[in-house]
Amino acid sequence: MKKGSRFSVSVLALMVTAGVLGACGSNNGNSPAANNAAGNTGGEGAAAKDTITALLPPVSPTYQENFKQMEADFNKLYPNLTLKIEPASWEDMTQKLDTQVNAGSPPDIAFIGSEGISKYKQLDMVLDITDTVTPEMVADIDEAPLEYMKNGDGLYGLPAYMEVHAIGGNKPFLEEAGIDWKKVQQSGWTYEEFREAIKKGVVKEGDTTKRYGFVFATAGVASKDYLAILVKNAGMPSPFTKDLKYAYTSPNYLEVLKAIRQMIDDGSMPKEISSVDAGKRWNMFLTGQTMITGKGLAVFENSSMKNNEKIDANDGSAVKDSVKTDYVVLPVPTFAGQPAASAAVVDGYVAFRGKKEPTAEHKANVVKAAYFLASGQVAAQTNGDLFAAQITDSGRKASESLPSKQSDYNKAAVQYLLSTAAPARPDIPAELGAKAIKLETEVIVPKFQALLAGETTPEKMFEDVKKAAVDTFGEDGVFK
Amino acid sequence: MARTASSNRNRLNRGDGAWGYAFIAVALVVYTLFTAYPVVSAFLISFQEYKPLGSTYIGLDNYTEIFKSSLFWKAIGNTVVYTILTVPVALILSFAVAVMIMPLRKWMQTTFKAVYYLPAVASGVALSVVWLWIFDPMQGGILNQLIGAFGIDSQNWLGASSTSMFSLVLMSWLSSHGTSIIIYVAALLGIDDSYYEAADIDGASFLQKMWHIVVPCLKPTTLFLLVTGVIGSFQVFQNAYLMTGGGPDHATTMVGLLIFDTAFKYFEFGEAAAQSLVLALMIGFMAFLQFKFLGKDVEY
Amino acid sequence: MSLYNNQLGNPLFKFVRNMILILLLLLFALATLFPIYFMIISSFGDPVEAGAVSYSIWPGKFTLDSYRFFFAFSEHSYRWLWNSLIVATVIMVSNVIFATAAGYSFAKVRFRGSKFLFGMLLVAMMIPYQVTQVPLYILIVNIFDIPNTYSALILPSLVTVYNIFLAKQFMSSIPNEIIESAKVEGCSQLQILTRIIMPLSKTVMAVMAILTFMDAWNTFFWPFLVTNTMEMQTIQVGLKNFRFANTTYFSPMMAGATISAVPMFILFFSLQKYFLEGVTVGAVKG
Repeated sequence: MKKGSRFSVSVLALMVTAGVLGACGSNNGNSPAANNAAGNTGGEGAAAKDTITALLPPVSPTYQENFKQMEADFNKLYPNLTLKIEPASWEDMTQKLDTQVNAGSPPDIAFIGSEGISKYKQLDMVLDITDTVTPEMVADIDEAPLEYMKNGDGLYGLPAYMEVHAIGGNKPFLEEAGIDWKKVQQSGWTYEEFREAIKKGVVKEGDTTKRYGFVFATAGVASKDYLAILVKNAGMPSPFTKDLKYAYTSPNYLEVLKAIRQMIDDGSMPKEISSVDAGKRWNMFLTGQTMITGKGLAVFENSSMKNNEKIDANDGSAVKDSVKTDYVVLPVPTFAGQPAASAAVVDGYVAFRGKKEPTAEHKANVVKAAYFLASGQVAAQTNGDLFAAQITDSGRKASESLPSKQSDYNKAAVQYLLSTAAPARPDIPAELGAKAIKLETEVIVPKFQALLAGETTPEKMFEDVKKAAVDTFGEDGVFK
Repeated sequence: MARTASSNRNRLNRGDGAWGYAFIAVALVVYTLFTAYPVVSAFLISFQEYKPLGSTYIGLDNYTEIFKSSLFWKAIGNTVVYTILTVPVALILSFAVAVMIMPLRKWMQTTFKAVYYLPAVASGVALSVVWLWIFDPMQGGILNQLIGAFGIDSQNWLGASSTSMFSLVLMSWLSSHGTSIIIYVAALLGIDDSYYEAADIDGASFLQKMWHIVVPCLKPTTLFLLVTGVIGSFQVFQNAYLMTGGGPDHATTMVGLLIFDTAFKYFEFGEAAAQSLVLALMIGFMAFLQFKFLGKDVEY
Repeated sequence: MSLYNNQLGNPLFKFVRNMILILLLLLFALATLFPIYFMIISSFGDPVEAGAVSYSIWPGKFTLDSYRFFFAFSEHSYRWLWNSLIVATVIMVSNVIFATAAGYSFAKVRFRGSKFLFGMLLVAMMIPYQVTQVPLYILIVNIFDIPNTYSALILPSLVTVYNIFLAKQFMSSIPNEIIESAKVEGCSQLQILTRIIMPLSKTVMAVMAILTFMDAWNTFFWPFLVTNTMEMQTIQVGLKNFRFANTTYFSPMMAGATISAVPMFILFFSLQKYFLEGVTVGAVKG
């Protein structure tokens, strides 16, 4: 029995090893090993041929159409290099990447959120490119977003954009409720001001609410966005304090939970908020059922304008029962006298390694490809489509020639939000980060869903989170 | 006499073994490569801390981790509840529909079968959008309008732990019976008319025929649908993932979802493999019970 | 069709009974058909990117633009349909042949280890795919080294345990006497399978064909994993290209979904006659 199992283990191990070696030699014909060999036999290796694979989702509507163009442009720039783009659908791309990573054969570059880096770093599958990026590249990219691509001492990719997850209001309704939105855009607001404002935004007809002051998509796992965005503005820009203690045991956390309940109990938010999903809340925004919505992205201004055009055309193609809307970017209110810290999301081109350590040469080529995608014309086009700010000098320059439909006040508001963005925290060890994710998934999100549904109290939830945090990080590992 | 019969049978069955293996050869090869190999890998991984660059064997740690976790047992509990509420209802519904289709004219049979089969061809995206609309918690929601007509207050279907499990169950009741209906209809057609003729001569009523002919003849089919139904229900993941994310407060966390989270959210592949093997063991035990009580294939 | 006592009732009774049945069936049909209806209705909308789904029972506008948009969106739209057709057809044919043979073998042929092997097959069904997917990926992509090929799309589903199980259950109710009398007449097992069992199992083979085709046609995740160019994507993978970070081309996606449902209809109706003719054992015997 024992013998038999040992035999099967070794056969299996053999198969796996053989497979791995095979894979390294031929993974889409782009593997480091193969290229290396080609490079060596090629003699000087100065312009050795190499292929870089990139797994990319449709970041913006025009992004995927341009894949061919990008590949061609890259090849023009570096005639010895080939960029091979693997298209992937947006929602499923993580699962594909995860499978490839676990199989030991990821692409060279993948487009992911910066928060994903620590997950892959734990498996040692991301590539530290600190020693490979050139000073010119670093100088071109804004510092804040670049920080987000770091983890510990290493730099693992180049940022594509930095977007702020905030909220957004409908201009006519804001004005109707007497809210000075211009002032809010420029200097933010406190929770107390916000609470009054959304109360004023409610429109009732008898007992039924025709319009809510504020609707945030919180159905299912989206609820974690809501909480995360709010607590950042309550003195907890990250789950960990500067001295690496878990932050969500702070009394300010309880304040936020209480406020969340308060807004629902005031009637400013629907009591069914716990099952409003992203599609539904945007539908509510377009149909005039809410004054303010979240989470809000700058690109929503575009969606709002497009629906207005359809209403004008009056051909039945507009969203049913929709009214004309005018999207205004708004900051998230601050709690307990804490400074504003907007939730920044940085996505970018992260470098991966396979089972075998890539050669320095291949690594340099990967960085070239990542930089090509993250800067200049490609970045200008993508970020323009997304109404996202340009975060490279070269991108800013290239975007000057591109037309933009974004209103100036929203552009300015986005800049203001970016200036208050919570700083990156590359100092949080991957292991702590992983524990925090587990705590969030298994305790915070479920309890928070219950809080939104009115099935638990803020105090009870706070106790539960505290208890779980102490269990996970120890008495000394949490903020007191 | 008996001896000649049995030796006759032996003579007739000679060489059957070889044919038996020949008929399953292709299936067996495909199975070994694409099913058994991954399963064996998963089994090995369940004793490891899995890392693509080199795993370490950690003995039974992954298993002890599971047995300590209260969430795993809660998820098992939820899954059992979900299975008990959905699988038998699905069987009864599709059986009833199949029986009701039988006396109709041919073109009507075709139409109805096509109609019930249709939802299976619909894209998952269309389905999920529609179900979100049905469960819309506001007054505009289809289900809320429906119960509103009976004077019942609007419910927060997917958002409250009291109704979220029921909502998922309802969704399962009203969708995707096409497969089992088609299989039941095929099985009903396979019953030889001579049975009914014999029963008619005895003056059997509809219910008597149902109980003495249809139910026993459909036993193998029912067993098939039951076993595959339970397996499917234990692995259910998509609906909980898309509709509730397991919430609120783990009211709809199923084992399938938990395994997915462990594997892809926490990247603890070893523990996920261990979880699935524990799950498989439970399903296997239940399948064994089902075979034991229903498994006697009908002999003629 | 004499489960129902036709000879007993008068015509009025029969009429009323059938009307009640039809009514019940219609009610249930209404509930299950709704999503399809919604899919088709939405596909006639404008091919603009919508930030939100328009929840309405009647279409606001009727246009075929979304269908045009679907085919113009990517040069690969036709190719996706074609890929799906090839993959699903091969999987369907091989399953019908090999699962029928294996099912018959497990149901009626006596051979050593038959029960054990069948048990092994069933056990494998019980392991959730979330865990087996990485080893399978390693096998196909790293060991066999066939990513982005039809083989990678087809091989793992060549014969499924589900179909073997289905075939075995159906065939277990074929009377043993038929097989034995065939043997007495000197038929080999292969002849029994092809000349007696297969004709008798037309219904279940038709069922298997349609279910397998549908399953292969609708599979999303595996094709998504093993393809890495647009040319090799199947229709289900291709449809996902209509979803972006914050917006979706909703109507064209629904148009694509509607188009992708058509082949399954065709198959369903072309196999219809096998569904409806109960194959009687007596007919074969005689």
